[in-house]
Order: sequence, then structure tokens, then C-alpha cells
Amino acid sequence: MKNSILFLKLFLLFSLLGWAQEQPKKTFWEKLDPSLVVATETSYEFDSGKLQKSEWIIKPEFTYKFNRRSKLVFRGQIYSEFQDNLEADIPNQQTVTGYNKRLFLDRHTNLELRELYYYTRLNGLNLTLGKQQIVWGETDGLKLLDVVNPQNFREFILDDFEDSRIPLWSIKAEFDVKDIGVQLLWIPDNTYHITQDFNAPYFTRSLFPTPPEGVSAQLNKPKKPNRFFADSDFGVKLTTFTKGWDVSLNYLYYYDDLPAFYSQLEIVDNNPVVSIDPEYERQQLLGGTFNKVFGSSTFRGELAYVLGQHFISDNLNATRGVETSDFFRTALGIDFIKGEYVLSGQIFNEWVMETISPFNRERWETNYSLLASRELLNDSLKAEVLWVHSSNHGDGYITPSLSYWVNTNTQLLLNAHLFYGKETQLFGQFKDRSRISIGFKWGI
Amino acid sequence: MKTIFKMMALLMAVGTMNAQDLPDGQTIAEKTYERNEGNSVKRTLIMELTDKRGKTRVRETTALRKYFGEERRLIIFYNTPTSVKGTAFLTYDYPSAEVDDDQWLYLPALRKTRRISASNRGDYFLGTDLTYEDIKLETKISRDDYNYKTIGKETIDGHECYVIEATPKDDDIAKELGYSKAKFWVDAKVWMMRKSESWDIAGNPLKTVNVSDIREIQGIWTLHRIDVQNHKTKHKTVFRFEDIDYSTALSDDYFTEEALVDGL
Repeated sequence: MKNSILFLKLFLLFSLLGWAQEQPKKTFWEKLDPSLVVATETSYEFDSGKLQKSEWIIKPEFTYKFNRRSKLVFRGQIYSEFQDNLEADIPNQQTVTGYNKRLFLDRHTNLELRELYYYTRLNGLNLTLGKQQIVWGETDGLKLLDVVNPQNFREFILDDFEDSRIPLWSIKAEFDVKDIGVQLLWIPDNTYHITQDFNAPYFTRSLFPTPPEGVSAQLNKPKKPNRFFADSDFGVKLTTFTKGWDVSLNYLYYYDDLPAFYSQLEIVDNNPVVSIDPEYERQQLLGGTFNKVFGSSTFRGELAYVLGQHFISDNLNATRGVETSDFFRTALGIDFIKGEYVLSGQIFNEWVMETISPFNRERWETNYSLLASRELLNDSLKAEVLWVHSSNHGDGYITPSLSYWVNTNTQLLLNAHLFYGKETQLFGQFKDRSRISIGFKWGI
Repeated sequence: MKTIFKMMALLMAVGTMNAQDLPDGQTIAEKTYERNEGNSVKRTLIMELTDKRGKTRVRETTALRKYFGEERRLIIFYNTPTSVKGTAFLTYDYPSAEVDDDQWLYLPALRKTRRISASNRGDYFLGTDLTYEDIKLETKISRDDYNYKTIGKETIDGHECYVIEATPKDDDIAKELGYSKAKFWVDAKVWMMRKSESWDIAGNPLKTVNVSDIREIQGIWTLHRIDVQNHKTKHKTVFRFEDIDYSTALSDDYFTEEALVDGL
């Protein structure tokens, strides 16, 4: 707690330094840039014939520019879900640090500090200090390197990543060494993925083995790191642009945002119970990205090698039901743009490097994604279809969408999310959650 | 009678002399590149897009441009609409016509920077009625893409302009640009284009561009408004330039992929 206060003091100190550097030419109000976005979306679930969600999001934003080199950015959010369906009741937020929790006014509405950071450029050093989102990687739809910030899986992966990504209190420093851009990260915020309860619409049951008949399961409180310095995440990203190639190398020393689910059979009151103990585990990620334009096409790729990934195991001899292996993931993509048309294809490969028996997955898996979009009426109307498919399991989802700018500030949205495949698989398990959604975004 | 013939002959001679005196089109095109644009500029660019039913959408951006030797770098940050605020576009425009530009687009909804192909220079720029090539040239006339013919002098908004007709050098260039023919009115004093007309590949009238409110800012001739009418779609775009500043030195750091993410 003392260290958390130290971090807050650092943040305030730098913010005050910004004020100290302030140039008197502009008034307070001239330096303040306020804005507001209101977004709403209502989804109808085909299978149940009920509304899956009816949400309103109000996003106020204030940017205060001290001078040409420094600014303070605040992004807040008021979120209301009138069905109280996606995150039923008031969640316990046990995977979130105390200073990063949402404030629930009731079971429908919560307030969240989405971002609050001070940004400054100091003689070649760019510093971002505070609660922020840090995004790595090149891929769309599925994440490889975009693991710096955890995610709220309230809507599985259907929500915009901008909304589902959980910002963290962190420091980002950027500077150049010759032609190489260096980014250093220190993330003392021990907040991890927000996963859903057993009875939530987007509980990912495909990740967990079902206990044998007559055996109940008991999910215990996760063992969560809480030491301010020792349990911090650290990252380095090197970037360069040479001969038309954009290249990055990434390294992250971090806790996996999803805990390892250790389990063992216990006898409680003469009844067999599978006791599950989630524990967050340290791991290291080495990776990189590249892209280059060839004519009308952009070729891009992403690699991520995780040292010591923990998997729930099918092997009965596995210690506490978990096995460890290095895990190698790659993505290759090509974007073809011609006029108002965009066609984008990606192939994702995953290898579990050791000879282990991970639950409900093969050691080598392949997923594909295809995105086709077209802008019409001078970009006021956009039609898009995204298809994600698992080659190994034959499941996936299709998302057709339309968006239309009614006027300068208002955009209408219509989309559907259609899952298919076996109910035991990652995408197929949400077959009953297929939905159509309508909404709008308005901003001033 | 003899006197009348003599006068007519004299007028014809003067006319012939004038036609011969006009600079050739290629020279006029080259002259548009010699104009002082300042090493760097920061300005607000407001785009008003109006469809054939009269519905108007407004997008306000901040645009920064700087020369790195002969290489020109441009970065545009969207300020409005609010829901796409933070969208930013960066281009490295290389002096050699043989080398494609490099372009990046930052999408705040994804928090990711997309690399974009710059080979489709005839594509329309972010929903407006100007193409990427038009935006890149601003009021310059391409040195490389057309064969020119000077067809006379006309006055636009009280300013004397050379009128040149331009035909793409070959069919490939015509397809790339989306124009089969163009006509430019170039100010004879400040060497800026004041008006252009273009025809599509099938030879139909496509666009009329009017450049206006040209005045000196910090000693540099500067346009403040471009009106583009698309005759095929009946869509029109007005570009307005405000808060133009050539004097403030812009750091090289503004023209990087990191700056796309960090914003202004």
C-alpha cells in the first residue's frame, strides 16, 4: 500500500512539474480540451429470444495541455447494462487491484477511471506515467503480443478491445538509440483478466474439464501476487523502420493474466470434491512483429514465444492437474486495399513445444481469419464481414456489420455475431449466444 | 481598307507573339515546385463533406508537414468527430517518383497502427473528393505524369493565370490517377493552381477544384480554401485551412509512428 502511494506521489509530482513548465500565453480553458462520447448497444440473442444486453456507455475525456511538450489525460466511463446479464449482480473483482477497481453504484451501473496519465517529452525522452493502455502487436481479432494489459471477458472477444482491455497503472518510457526506438515498461499494477462466473453467458467452460459424475467442483480464491516491486511486470520493445520494413522486438517479464488452475481431489464431508486453486504464474515472452508494403498489399507478421506456459492437463499423472511447456504462436497476415475495398486474411499457428497433454486442445493448432470491408457514400457507410475459424476443431464465428454516419457526430451501428461448431470448443460453446445488435455512437 | 487589313494583321501578329511568349506547360508545372512552402507548417484543416442531398459532415484535423531534405513528411491528427478523435495519418513522401510513399494510419479504437499501401494514388483521401495524389501535390502540378499544352491566359478571381491542358503520358498513369484529361489554371505571379477540371477515364467531366483565399502568411503564399465538386457523385468537399504557422519549429519526433499513438 505504501508503494502504491509512492506511485501516486510520483504521478502527482510529474503532473505538478507540468504545471511548473506551463506557459502563461493561454488561459486554463484554452488549454483544456474536453469531449464526450455516448455509445449504446442492444443485443438480441437468437436462441433464448431474449435481450442479451442493453448497455449505455458515457465516456468523458479531458486533455489538459500544459505546453507543447506535456499533457494530462483523463478518460472516465459510466457503464450501465440494464439486463444485468453479462456480469450478473455486483462482481467481486478479486483479480483487480484495489486502486484499479470499478465503483459499482448498483447491479447495473459502474464508474471506472479508464485512463489518467501524464505525458511529457523531455529532451528525447517521452514519458507516460499513470493509468494507461499499452498495446503491442499487429494482429486483428486474436491476440499474440497484445498481452501487456489484461482483458475483461464479459463478452468473450466480441467487445471492442478498446472497451474490454483493462488499463493499468504503469510507466512507459520511450527514447531513440540511433535508428532504434526503445520502449521500456514498468507495470506495478497486479490486475489480471476478469473472467466470468459459471452461470454468466460468456463463461468459457471449454477451458475447464467437467468433474466426473457424482463429483462436485470447488473453485477457491485465486492466489494473486501482491508485492509492489517484486511482482511488477517489465517490458522492452525495440522498433525500427528500415528499407520499407517495420520491425519490432518485444520482451515481457510478466504474470500470465489467466491463472494456472491447479486441482486435486479432496473428500469433504465424505463426498469427493475437485478443489481448484487458481494461481498466477510468472512467465516470459519473447516476440516480434514485421510488416512491409508490396504494391497494393501489406504483408505483416507477429511471433510470440512464451517460456513456461501452464496448461490444464489431461494427463492423470500431472502434478495438481497442470503441465508446463514453452508455447510458440505465430500470425501471418496480408491486407489488400483497392479503392474503397479492403480484404485482409490472417493465419494463426500455435505450437505447444513440449510433449504434454493439454486439456481440450492439440499441440499444434491453426486458426484463420478473413476480413472484407467496403466504404460507401464517401466513407459515410461501411460494410464489413469478419470470419474467424479454427482449423483443428471446425468451430468459429462470423461477424457481419454495418456502420453509418448520420451526421458529423452520430454513427449508427448494426452487427451480428454468429457462432458455429461443437459446444465443447472455444467458439462453438457460444453457439447459443449468437446475437444481433443495434446501437449508436454520439460525440461532442 | 488597307488600314483595316494592316490593323488586323498587326493584331494577329500580336496574338501569335502572345501564344509564342507563353511558357510551355512543363515549365509551368516545374515552376509550381519552386514555390516556397516553408520548411515546416502546422495548421488546422477542416473538411466539410456534403452529399447530393445536402447532408454535411465536418471533420476537423491538425496537420503538420516538414521537409527532411527533399523528403516530405505529413502527419494529420483527427480532432473531430469525437468518436474517432485520435485517428492519425502519417506519410513519408519520397522525392523519387520511382519509390512509393510510406503511409501509416493509427486507429484509436484498435490502438494499433496500420501500414497502408500508397501505390493506389488515385484512391480518394478519407472520404473526401480529392485523391491521395491531389493531397500530396497540394497546388503543385505533377512534373512526371502528364504531357502539357499551354492553351492561353485567363483571369480567375482577378488573378492572371496560365491555362494548361494535361494528358496522362500513358494509359497506366491515366488508370492510376483516375483521370483521362485535366486542365489547370496556374497563377502567373505566385505559381499556385487556382482552378482545375478533370475528366474520368471514359472522358466524362469528373471534378472541378477551386482554390481560393490565397494570401501571404509569414512571407509565404498560402491557400486557405479548396472547393471540390464531384460531377459524377454530386458530392462536394470544402477544405478550410486555419491557424497556419510556418514559424514554430516542429520537432522531428512529431513525424514518427510513436507520435501517431501519443498524439499532439
